[in-house]
Amino acid sequence: MKLSIENVGKCYDGKVWALRRFSLELKPGVLGLLGPNGAGKTTLMSILATITRATEGKVTWNGADLASNPNALRTVLGYLPQDFGVYPNLNAQEFLEYLAAVKGLDATDARRRIDQLLNLVNLADVRSRPLGGFSGGMKQRVGIAQALLNDPQLLIVDEPTAGLDPEERVRFRNLLSDLSGERIVILSTHIVSDVEATATDIALISNGSLVAHAAPEELLRRVEGRVWEWVVPSADLNAVKQCYRISNTVRRSDGVHVRVLAEDAPPGAQPVPPTLEDAYLDSLSLYRTRSVA
Amino acid sequence: MKRGRVLWHLVKADFLTRVRRTSFLVTLAFAVFVGYQTFAGKIVMKLDDYRGVYNSAWVGALMGIVTSSFISLVGFYIVKGSIERDRTTRVGQILAATPMSKSFYTVAKFLGNFAVLASMVLVMAVAALCMQLGRAEDRTLHLWPLFAPLLLYALPAMAFVAALAVLFETLPVLRGGVGNVAWFFVWTALLVGGVSAAVDHGAGAGNRDYFRDFTGISTMMAQMRGTLLQIDPSFQNGFSLSIGDQVPHHRFLWTGIRWTSIMIAARLAWLASALAVALLASLFFHRFDPARERIARKQQEAPDRPAVLELAAARELARSDPWSSRLTPLPPASVKNRFTSVLIAELRLMLQGHRWWWYAVAAALFIVCVAAPLPASSGGIILAAWIWPMLIWSQMGSREARYATGSLIFSAPHALQRQLPAVWLAGVIVTALTGGGLAIRLLIARDLHALAGFAVAACFIPSLALALGVWSGSSKFFEALYTAWWYTGAAHHIPGGDFTGTVAASSRPGVYLLLTVALLAACWMRRRTQLAYA
Repeated sequence: MKLSIENVGKCYDGKVWALRRFSLELKPGVLGLLGPNGAGKTTLMSILATITRATEGKVTWNGADLASNPNALRTVLGYLPQDFGVYPNLNAQEFLEYLAAVKGLDATDARRRIDQLLNLVNLADVRSRPLGGFSGGMKQRVGIAQALLNDPQLLIVDEPTAGLDPEERVRFRNLLSDLSGERIVILSTHIVSDVEATATDIALISNGSLVAHAAPEELLRRVEGRVWEWVVPSADLNAVKQCYRISNTVRRSDGVHVRVLAEDAPPGAQPVPPTLEDAYLDSLSLYRTRSVA
Repeated sequence: MKRGRVLWHLVKADFLTRVRRTSFLVTLAFAVFVGYQTFAGKIVMKLDDYRGVYNSAWVGALMGIVTSSFISLVGFYIVKGSIERDRTTRVGQILAATPMSKSFYTVAKFLGNFAVLASMVLVMAVAALCMQLGRAEDRTLHLWPLFAPLLLYALPAMAFVAALAVLFETLPVLRGGVGNVAWFFVWTALLVGGVSAAVDHGAGAGNRDYFRDFTGISTMMAQMRGTLLQIDPSFQNGFSLSIGDQVPHHRFLWTGIRWTSIMIAARLAWLASALAVALLASLFFHRFDPARERIARKQQEAPDRPAVLELAAARELARSDPWSSRLTPLPPASVKNRFTSVLIAELRLMLQGHRWWWYAVAAALFIVCVAAPLPASSGGIILAAWIWPMLIWSQMGSREARYATGSLIFSAPHALQRQLPAVWLAGVIVTALTGGGLAIRLLIARDLHALAGFAVAACFIPSLALALGVWSGSSKFFEALYTAWWYTGAAHHIPGGDFTGTVAASSRPGVYLLLTVALLAACWMRRRTQLAYA
């Protein structure tokens, strides 16, 4: 099972490159695709989900080129887009049955699968209610269920936890981890904690380019010994901001706890274990500095 | 002053949103097309066998009438949807949270609609100028006679249309497809109601006639007839505005409308009525309140669920009860490419979710078609049976765009080869079922020619719906075109225009079969481009 992305680029209106010379090779596991807004994550997802065609480069699934044989991937693809709609007059059961038919699933298997999926996403009790009356989080769970209908080998989820409450969010993260053993999961998000909990691999993307591709441990190792924390009076915070790359600030009764990324220890600061958020900010900052240079 | 500024920005944003869309270019292209057709003599205004010399007065009157009658019909469909756009883009909710009043909003929407329609009138004004110079029968330009009909007839008519579009959008029953169908009949009523019986029979227009004259036809017709009677006493009061190549053989000189203060007051009254309609719309405008949406609030509420857990507790719960443990892997052979499954799914999608009375009426029409005498079945009842499912057909091809499900459906395997034909076939089945009573009647009568016409019609109607839906991404185009076609072509059994194909005199099944094939090819081509990988 292998998904290869080779020098892929996407240009909109012949002017704006949303993605440029992007290469990546994916094997079973969860790839966390991280990047700021407008980095090109959704464009990449749309290309991989066969929704839009790359302007340049090639995507292959187990050696089959998507350009000439998209159905090789579509039959094993589960896709949860960032923005999707539902048919308001159908209920959850009927909507999933419709999509199961469109995906070419056997009717008996589809019915059993839909039962399981509705239980899984906690919508079994409301399976007969029209989707038009569903809240945003409930629609999102319908979206998750439809993405898993055909037991996909490649699961692409774009901002999947948007609108989910904390319980559902944690459950969904765990689902991704559980599923990843036998399939490739691509999780696009700008919520670092979602990636932290699930990803076996991380790709950082900015301005349509791949900034870094590594295991989370490797990214964390890169900032090891460069994350510092200390307490400053509120009045001094602006001055600290001028001198250091701030990763986080928390106001407490004893002052502001400042977390920074720096080669050398700021006066009075203690080294702290890095988080993925620190690694993410460091990589992006490094990329931007190099781009400007 | 401040309110004026707010209004200006609301109208400006609304106008810019529209003019920066490709559909606006199509709108202007339509106006250019109508203008060119008039210039090329394809739209002819004649009185018996006379037409006016193409001077400023005649060209201005012609363009004014064409704009206020033809473009007003299409213009409504073009501008209707601005409130819906605010709802779907959720900009409406942001606006609703501002101090802006409901009447302010509906008036702003009315002005935004009017600005779009006024730009079409502007195109027609340029076309009028080109027409007079191009025709070269009288090159002397008289700006007032040339532009006054557009200014005083077309613009107030457009303002009224712009306001009605807002009113339709605020009334739940007229917001969707029903409103699109209803507009055709409202427009017909405005046109027909504008001409009094007295004026129609040759009398001059009175003060009351000026006020009821939506398009200006009545007033101009009365004045033109008066002039012509002085030239040709045998003039029979004939007046027509028609599309085609009917070239009148005689010309007469008409120097323009003699404006009176009452006539101008009548046109201003139409403008005032437009403003009144926009204000009336504010009474029905619910300010994007989700509780006033069609689906009852109680349905929107989430089911009984345990209170949201703290993250740590949730983490523990998820660990002890993993999602994936409840999923059984699908057998590899489970993914099959069964066309019938998709067809059944599409049929369910089309036929589900209607009120009980929808099915009751459809069933009643079926039974009446079987029971009634054949001429009645194939003449009038089938027309009713084939307007009833119009809002089902109009969803074909545009549903994916309307409900934003395209990314889910187009990423499925063989979407072009399976889903598109399944939608079409489901449409054919719905058409054949709703008109099926007539098919049974024709079978009993062994009228195979009419039966062939029926079969072609059952294929043609969904093909037209699918093609227009796939190409436009909206149901509006089909709803407008089909209603007009159904009324003008089928209901009047016009040879060539009667797509029902069940009345021998007007039936042209061969032509409609060819059209069906062409429409299906157009669907296929368009959907291919919508799918990144067909």
